[in-house]
Amino acid sequence: MSAHEVPTPITRVPFFTKGTMIVAAIAGLGILAYIYRLIYGIGAATNLDDQYPWGIWIAIDVASGVALAAGGFTTAALADIFHKERYHVIVRPALLTAMLGYTFVVIGLLADLGRYYNVWHPMLPSMWQGNSVLFEVGMCVMVYLTVLYIEFLPIVAERFGGRVSLPGPLRVFNKLIDSWLTICHKFLGRFISLFIIAGVVLSCLHQSSLGTLMVIAPTKMHALWYSPISPLMFLMSAIAVGFPMVIFESLIASRSFKLKPETKILSSIATYTPVLLGAYLAVKIGDITLREVWPLVFDGSYESIMFNIEILLGVVAPIVLLSQRKIRNSVAGLFTSASLVIFGVAFNRINVFLTAYTPLYPGKPYFPSIFEIMVTVGLICALVLVYRFIVLNLPVIAVPPSERGTDKATISTVKTA
Amino acid sequence: MTKNRLLILFAIVIATGIVALPLLAQRNSPVAMPTTDCTRCHTCEVPTLREPCLKSCPRTEMVHQQGNHNLQDAPDSMLLSQLADLYQPVHFNHKVHASMAQMGTDCATCHHYSPPGKIPPCSDCHSASSESTDLKKPNLKGAYHRQCLSCHREWSHDTKCVLCHIPNVEGLMKSATEDPTDIIGKTHPVITEPVKKVYQTPYKPAPVVTFQHKEHIDLFGFRCVDCHEKENCGNCHDIEQTSKIKKTQEQVHAICNDCHKEDACSKCHDTKERPGFSHNKTGWPLNQYHNQLDCWACHPTGRQISKLNSMCISCHKGWNQANFKHAVTGLLLDEVHAEMECSDCHADHRYEADPKCDDCHDDGRTAKTAPPGMRTKHSGR
Amino acid sequence: MSFTRRDLFKMAAVGAAASVGGNLQASDDAYPIDCSQTYGVLVDTVVCIGCRKCEWACNNEHKLSTTDLKTFEDKSVFQQHRRPVDNAYTVVNEFKNPETAKPYTIKVQCMHCNQPACASACIVGALKKNRLGSVDYDAWKCIGCRYCMVACPFQVPAYEYNEALKPRVMKCTFCLDRLEEGRKPACVGICPNEALTFGTREQLIDLAKERIKAKPELYFNHVYGEKEVGGTSWMYLASTDFINTELPKLTNDPIPHTTETIQHGIFKSFVPPLALYGLLGLIMHSLRENKEDKESDDERS
Repeated sequence: MSAHEVPTPITRVPFFTKGTMIVAAIAGLGILAYIYRLIYGIGAATNLDDQYPWGIWIAIDVASGVALAAGGFTTAALADIFHKERYHVIVRPALLTAMLGYTFVVIGLLADLGRYYNVWHPMLPSMWQGNSVLFEVGMCVMVYLTVLYIEFLPIVAERFGGRVSLPGPLRVFNKLIDSWLTICHKFLGRFISLFIIAGVVLSCLHQSSLGTLMVIAPTKMHALWYSPISPLMFLMSAIAVGFPMVIFESLIASRSFKLKPETKILSSIATYTPVLLGAYLAVKIGDITLREVWPLVFDGSYESIMFNIEILLGVVAPIVLLSQRKIRNSVAGLFTSASLVIFGVAFNRINVFLTAYTPLYPGKPYFPSIFEIMVTVGLICALVLVYRFIVLNLPVIAVPPSERGTDKATISTVKTA
Repeated sequence: MTKNRLLILFAIVIATGIVALPLLAQRNSPVAMPTTDCTRCHTCEVPTLREPCLKSCPRTEMVHQQGNHNLQDAPDSMLLSQLADLYQPVHFNHKVHASMAQMGTDCATCHHYSPPGKIPPCSDCHSASSESTDLKKPNLKGAYHRQCLSCHREWSHDTKCVLCHIPNVEGLMKSATEDPTDIIGKTHPVITEPVKKVYQTPYKPAPVVTFQHKEHIDLFGFRCVDCHEKENCGNCHDIEQTSKIKKTQEQVHAICNDCHKEDACSKCHDTKERPGFSHNKTGWPLNQYHNQLDCWACHPTGRQISKLNSMCISCHKGWNQANFKHAVTGLLLDEVHAEMECSDCHADHRYEADPKCDDCHDDGRTAKTAPPGMRTKHSGR
Repeated sequence: MSFTRRDLFKMAAVGAAASVGGNLQASDDAYPIDCSQTYGVLVDTVVCIGCRKCEWACNNEHKLSTTDLKTFEDKSVFQQHRRPVDNAYTVVNEFKNPETAKPYTIKVQCMHCNQPACASACIVGALKKNRLGSVDYDAWKCIGCRYCMVACPFQVPAYEYNEALKPRVMKCTFCLDRLEEGRKPACVGICPNEALTFGTREQLIDLAKERIKAKPELYFNHVYGEKEVGGTSWMYLASTDFINTELPKLTNDPIPHTTETIQHGIFKSFVPPLALYGLLGLIMHSLRENKEDKESDDERS
């Protein structure tokens, strides 16, 4: 980590602006819709039925959510395991995105679970079900979420260690929490690498297993997306979307917080993306060829159009764009390409879980209800708000000294090993 | 006293003889053996009354002795009362169903096991208990219901229990019997055969086909089942007509092609309706004797009827003056003429032409003016 | 970069193995049940008359929706294609035999697969195939993810969507309570035509084949469920090709086979994840030492 750029709470922008007010309003509506679902049940709140048991809460909130949170483990691998030290500036924002991403994945999942209060059941050894892909995904997500919180703990400790001052009657806990934070900090400082590797392994496991989920429904899946190597393609696309996601949010954050965009670092990690996406595309083409489903790609059906949008716009276009140095070095070019990759991967998840899924006895086709859309959009907005809140209060984003302002909270660099 | 004893003894011997003789005769005459393979029902070589060694009931092949059973001997109706505690006994009108079955495969429509002798009741094989362990044959419930409901469903599309089972509750009885579609207690009307059926076919040059239905029965001796081989109740009684399908051209022709395979289209197809067949139109109106004959007696060339030689001796080859009773022609020959050869009067065996008398008689007489015997009555050929 | 590549190769190998047909066997103790001796039911649609008494008996047994026998005499429901729903575990549908144009009726319910996809999918083992043959559901364990509904190749499980607090997955239980008492399922017990035959799978397959052999003109020569998806407890006979029924055309491969092969390949005694962990640790360690050697001068100054 460069001595010039130190992660700092951003204090010079207020939490509430005109933009945040609108986002907060949408998030509020989402919370209302969420409460409506809890009170009146899934039947009342969604358009799901016996033929379409899974809707956008699974396709977008969970599947796309997990994929787009992949920035956390890819940056951790790059910076901490492969010791590309100059990328340390983006580790913390990516970690925060992953942590919040997975948190909201779980919140979104809870809305979709009929018996959300039983969500802890997979932890009971008596209910372990080793054949279930979903069991593996669930366990990995649960453990990984814990790992993410542990990885994030040093950031909290860095900010509040020795300075815990809770208001009012909670004052009595100040000392306790303070010492706990200090112990954690010391302990984690030594063993954090174990957790970082664990995070990468867990991510690889469940990112791929998400792709195995729909392999259990061979007769209901459209041949364009039904593949036994679907887990491999899910993992590759998740790895590919990690850096574009970091680029995307870094650019948005710098605009929102009126910081100078880290174009140099971002365009540097963007060089990996055409390679990773290219590998993904090669596997995808190989898969289509080996399974002999090329005719389906061009048959003009609804599914073939969706597939072409996914591949051309979400995979081919960003490969072409990011292969050019000029575009990599421009903020607009970076932003557009990163957005396309994110769109492509999210669209792939939606295609796999919704477009490709045809029930045996389809009644009316599935289209999300207003409540489903409100919850999904609301959760995304809530995530943005929490992200903003944390970034304003904890040292996440690295700010050059010139832009740091007069922040009393700035503390000396702690090297997160 | 001894005389009396002897008489009584004699009477007993005679009586025994009268009783025993037919039995003996029966034993001596070869008993008509059923054509069925014995091993179909018996496990041992020599089944006896005491040890019939019968196989257990489920027989995959149908055993049916048509000749041994007669509809007249069968009961008119039956009462099935296995569930008397729940329902009133089911009144099964055997006669109605049997008469309907004649349109199908006869008794075998329902009776899949009819060995010689008394037809066993269903319950002999089909267990009345629902806990039977033999999966291969239905229990009594299934056996009964399959017999009834499979057809009843086809014609009424109804499978209500009250169709047959009238609950043993006073109030419900009435409503169940008042159902107008209920056939219970009624007899099936006699199925009248149509004289002819006229079909409009899509065959453009000659669309009209006249099928002489009655003629085919009367002249050719067809039974209903010969043509209506796969009929069942639903074919006539399907109230929703769901089972009516349009037959293909092949299927339509198949039924006629059994006999008319080599005929030209014009055999049946015409531009207008055709009258029925009359032998008069052939130039050979049938007399009272010929009229009684089966077509095949004179037209033996298979199913193709061809024109025959109209000379009597072409069929009646063995007739001569000795064995032909001339009286049947309406003329009893006198003693002189009875001794003559047939061809003495009927030149060249042309019996339809007037006999010539001038070979013997010079007075120009004819058979009409001076018959060679006594006229009995007028007669044609 | 190398870690991802290496990993990809490993995943590719696993995927390839799965796609070629899986030499990696799903663990042997996954299906301990000898399915020839489990119970099953043979549904003979040639004998079925569509009286819907089975629907009534099922509703009555499981206290589902209406239990008035009269409502089940209504045949107008045949005009619409119905599926098992949360308040009806079984329904009878009417179809037309395209060869004879005669209507025939077919009862549908959970097939109770020998290797059930739903049970393989279930995250908490709430669905399980038991030794009697029933695929049994334990609502207490269920978290309500509905993955079983996605997985089921027959699209049978229904969900109590309108239940806000304690929704359940609803499907035929094979009347497990009755089976345990040694009784037949309710629908089998009531069927007036005995179109449903209850017995062990072995017995039923024999019976089905015997029926086809005895009356080949009545039956389509196929026992549906004998081999489909590795065999099912409920099997069907029909007068026409099963393509004309509502039963889906399926291969003989058990549905969970591919996913379980992939899963067990990745998690074979936890070796692949631990190997990946070790590999990453090694990379991290070796690269750090190189770096520290180089940077040691800078840090000291």
